[in-house]
Amino acid sequence: MAAALVLSLTACASVEQRHARDPLEPVNRVVFSFNQKADRYVMQPVAEGYKTVTPEPIRQGVSNVFDNMKDIVSFANHAVQLKPKEALNDFFRVAVNTVFGFGGLLDIASPMGLKSQKSGFGDTLAHYGWKNSHYVVLPLLGPSTVRDAIGTGVDFVSNPLDHHVQHDVPTRNTIVGVNVINQRAQLLGSEKLLEEAALDPYSLMRDTYLQIRDKKVGLQSQAEEEIPINELVNP
Amino acid sequence: MLQGLRHWLVPILFCAGLLPSTVALANDTPDAMVRQASRQVLDTLKKDDGKNSRQIRAEVESIAVPKFDFKRMTALAVGRGWRDASPAQQEELQVQFRTLLVRTYTSTMFRFRNAQVNVASNPVISADGNEATVRSQVAMGDGKNVQVDYSLYKVATEWKVYNVSVEGASLVTVYRNNFNDIIRQSGVDGLIKSLKEKNDAFIAKS
Repeated sequence: MAAALVLSLTACASVEQRHARDPLEPVNRVVFSFNQKADRYVMQPVAEGYKTVTPEPIRQGVSNVFDNMKDIVSFANHAVQLKPKEALNDFFRVAVNTVFGFGGLLDIASPMGLKSQKSGFGDTLAHYGWKNSHYVVLPLLGPSTVRDAIGTGVDFVSNPLDHHVQHDVPTRNTIVGVNVINQRAQLLGSEKLLEEAALDPYSLMRDTYLQIRDKKVGLQSQAEEEIPINELVNP
Repeated sequence: MLQGLRHWLVPILFCAGLLPSTVALANDTPDAMVRQASRQVLDTLKKDDGKNSRQIRAEVESIAVPKFDFKRMTALAVGRGWRDASPAQQEELQVQFRTLLVRTYTSTMFRFRNAQVNVASNPVISADGNEATVRSQVAMGDGKNVQVDYSLYKVATEWKVYNVSVEGASLVTVYRNNFNDIIRQSGVDGLIKSLKEKNDAFIAKS
């Protein structure tokens, strides 16, 4: 669905092109401000409620279970990217956490030195050559690129938890809901940071997201383009 | 009165006790400087009990501010437009951006105050020995690791930080597009004004 939405948005891309990576800026800004409001009035209060009624060990357990599922997706992606070392790392993380961590409730792989290094389908697309992708803000899901939006969709349907319950819609929706709220709860307290740091929260969020993604997929970021800093400060 | 006294006394005592060891150790290598400064900052932030936040922030600033080169940071954020600014405009830009960065830095570190910082002891040093990149891992409580890298350069005998990147995003260059948009629309003075308004709004709130 996300992918279809992206495609339809691309079709009506605005002529006004201010940033090469953000041709959809006018649309993106609208979605961004919708997301900000949805977050402030719905997600944040719900996440706070969840945090209040759920003790920390349980929240950690919930995070770990979802994380374990992501490791399975990550294993598949590292395998497709022909990265045996990373794939094995994911494989052993899942094995250890599932067997000795009570089905993923505990993350005992990390303290053992099996580091979490998630890969998704967006990374796989980048690995096979799609490094530079336009920025897009997804409704509710937030910052992404066209490539990573497709990646998120594929990661979602390839998640084993989702496979198990795909015909049981209420259960599936509950799982998705808990996952989203749980993730949001982890970010509580950081809302003010963007407001504190940014003259324009939209562009700061965009450029931060793009720099992080570009770094991860090995694309020379446009912001890192060689600025002769020594010449600038010592003319 | 007593409160006012404490407000001043604590940072002074703190700095006095701090100085000898800082001078002896911190400037040797860029990684030692980063390691020691982050430890001091985090240790200070751990003393925040919700009532003394303002004083703790002042302490953190007194530790961190001398370690950064704000002129270089501002030039890097503005990019090529820096040359078009007059010396007076450059000075004013730097003052405003510094206020913004210090505020953001302190808030970020406050969120990380219970994290474990591991600074790698093998910095990448440039051929002429004047620039260095120090890598560090911040281990959050929940098993997640955040990669934080510092770019430094040497002024006389002292290393100063001029860029910090978190997971590949530079705290400085993420501003460049936005700054250039504002400069294009309303000039360097427009950017100074925007920064000043932003900062004043926060001073009014605190």
